[in-house]
Amino acid sequence: MHELVEKILRQVRSGPPNILKALLALQQQVGHVPVEAIPDIAHNLGTTNAHIAGVLSYYPDLRVAAPGRHVIRVCMGESCYANGCGRVLRVLQDSLRTDVGETTSGGKFTLDTMSCAGNCAVSPTVLIDRDLYGRVLPSQVETMLGRYR
Amino acid sequence: MSSATRLYLSNDTSARAAGAGLLADAWADRPDVQLIRLSSRGAFFLEPMVERDSPDGRLAWCNVQPEDLPSILAGTGGTPVRSIPFLANQTRFTFADFGETEPLALDEYQARGGLKGLEQAFRLTPDAIVEELRVSQLRGRGGAAFPVWNKWKVAQQAKGRPKSVVANADEGDAGTYCDRMILEGDPFRLLEGMLICARAIGASRGYVYCRQEYPAAAVTLRAAIQKADEAELLDIDGEPFPIEVVEGAGSYVCGEETALLESLEGKRGVVRARPPYPAQAGLYGQPTIVSNVLTFATIPQILSRGGAWHASLGTEQSRGTIALQLGGRVKHPGLVEVPFGLSLRQVLEQFGGGMAPGSRFKAVQVGGPLGSLFPAAGLELPICYDAFAKAGAVLGHGGIVVYDHETDMVDLARHFMAFTADESCGKCTPCRIGSVRGREILERIQAGGGTLEDLALLDDLGETMKLASLCALGGRAPYPVLTAIEHFPVEFRSKLRT
Ligand SMILES: Cc1cc2nc3c(=O)[nH]c(=O)nc-3n(C[C@H](O)[C@H](O)[C@H](O)COP(=O)(O)O)c2cc1C
Ligand code: FES
Repeated sequence: MHELVEKILRQVRSGPPNILKALLALQQQVGHVPVEAIPDIAHNLGTTNAHIAGVLSYYPDLRVAAPGRHVIRVCMGESCYANGCGRVLRVLQDSLRTDVGETTSGGKFTLDTMSCAGNCAVSPTVLIDRDLYGRVLPSQVETMLGRYR
Repeated sequence: MSSATRLYLSNDTSARAAGAGLLADAWADRPDVQLIRLSSRGAFFLEPMVERDSPDGRLAWCNVQPEDLPSILAGTGGTPVRSIPFLANQTRFTFADFGETEPLALDEYQARGGLKGLEQAFRLTPDAIVEELRVSQLRGRGGAAFPVWNKWKVAQQAKGRPKSVVANADEGDAGTYCDRMILEGDPFRLLEGMLICARAIGASRGYVYCRQEYPAAAVTLRAAIQKADEAELLDIDGEPFPIEVVEGAGSYVCGEETALLESLEGKRGVVRARPPYPAQAGLYGQPTIVSNVLTFATIPQILSRGGAWHASLGTEQSRGTIALQLGGRVKHPGLVEVPFGLSLRQVLEQFGGGMAPGSRFKAVQVGGPLGSLFPAAGLELPICYDAFAKAGAVLGHGGIVVYDHETDMVDLARHFMAFTADESCGKCTPCRIGSVRGREILERIQAGGGTLEDLALLDDLGETMKLASLCALGGRAPYPVLTAIEHFPVEFRSKLRT
């Protein structure tokens, strides 16, 4: 881990030390930011463990545990709310037998929510990995999941 | 022999989510089709839309499926774009080229009048640029609606160095997407606005703080910055003006300008007490202009057409055009650019096309998750800053979400308070604690355990949050909840314990 942290952080170093940038770079390459890496990151950026932990816990997108192979995010923004995202989420919960913020046993899917993908005119919105689905009907959820099963 | 037919298809994220991506995949290997990927016109209810040239301008085929290709190639069944009422009835300036141009074609941008504002800015003194903005009466489009020239003047006169220009591309209000459209569809317009600002205040570096939820926007923007750099545009009076795209990490409050600056510095995105304002002491304590993407994108034409032109549009206190973003249960969700002053009803009927099939109107929310709710009786309100302020409401970033008869207002109110409780940065108590208490009360009412005192408590709590919160997150959070109770009291009372 020492060398990996050192290597990744060297790639993003420019200007004053930037904790968020460093954590995002780590997450992009490792998939999450392991808590064990905090001392290395702190040492590398010349700051304290508490500062790193503070930033890590603040941002919803920073993960301390590896997510499932596919991350499903259902938009809970108001346009999606008005268009029935609640029903879409319930079908997903039932189909995957998992709750929001959890990963299916076997580690295939992580189910999460988000607040607006800017896709409000084509809502409700579901994001699976980098694929954005619009005008999602509860009845389409199974077919959609089928592409990743 | 026969050359391929040029077909235009949007590459906008929402167009792709509506099926443009499928069409592009299905037709990728057709030798008789040359696909040109454009920005979107914003008529999202018609996407995926395929267009081709004709003697009468572009012809459009709407809600296209892959199997529609033969009729498109035969030229049968298309509608002239200029006869689509949703588009024809708008007054487009900032969004005039959307659906017409390729996002990264700098030459097309220039051929349609792009960079004229920047050229004008180089002919003017920094003072004269600020004066042009004063005359234009442009107010910030990010939510607070503060006069743009005023902020620029402060930054111009501030002593600290280096000065920065930051485009706020956090677009956190659910129900809004016009910044995303600009970032993905017309990035040079944003860059031009930032350069004009840099020239006016003497800034030497630029940043675009782009929310993580907009990956395509960040990619397009970085490519546009590189093109601008190659064309030697990122240069002000012989000094380099580098622009960097920095991605956020999912926090709503990071759209607030001081939290955004904390986040740009890599820290927890917590709100700073103001003053000092960022124009005086912003990024790393130096003078910084933080403005919304749409604000920057509006500025090139103010310089090229003149401030007086901009001031001639709209109403007394709200000059220019507003980019409204229709969503929820309207029949025609999409982007509507019109001068300020139309009533909510006019917008919902003329552009929104009424309700989606099977839906009856219940309420409309303007201004994102912190915006007020209006019942049918509130629809005569003109869309401009002063009328909204008088009604205790905000235009925010121009999001309009329509809720239908199936909406449970108690659940919706709970949804709003839960949002604030999740997103509060925690710096001030009214917002941090108030939102959690508010959510708990609404959950109690929803579960059938609430009393009349709970409604009174929500009112009290709301007043405290409005008055004592550090930023508009806590300060505005009570509005959607209290307007829901005000306009739909029966729904709340029927859930109370008797
Ligand atoms: C909680 C909160 C969230 C905000 N989110 C955004 C945002 O996503 N985008 C934005 O441009 N302004 C946002 N603002 C407003 C900014 O603080 C600031 O007023 C704006 O960026 C200034 O730009 P303008 O003058 O061009 O409007 C937010 C404000 C608050 C209180
Ligand atoms: S509200 Fe869901 S995409 Fe905007």
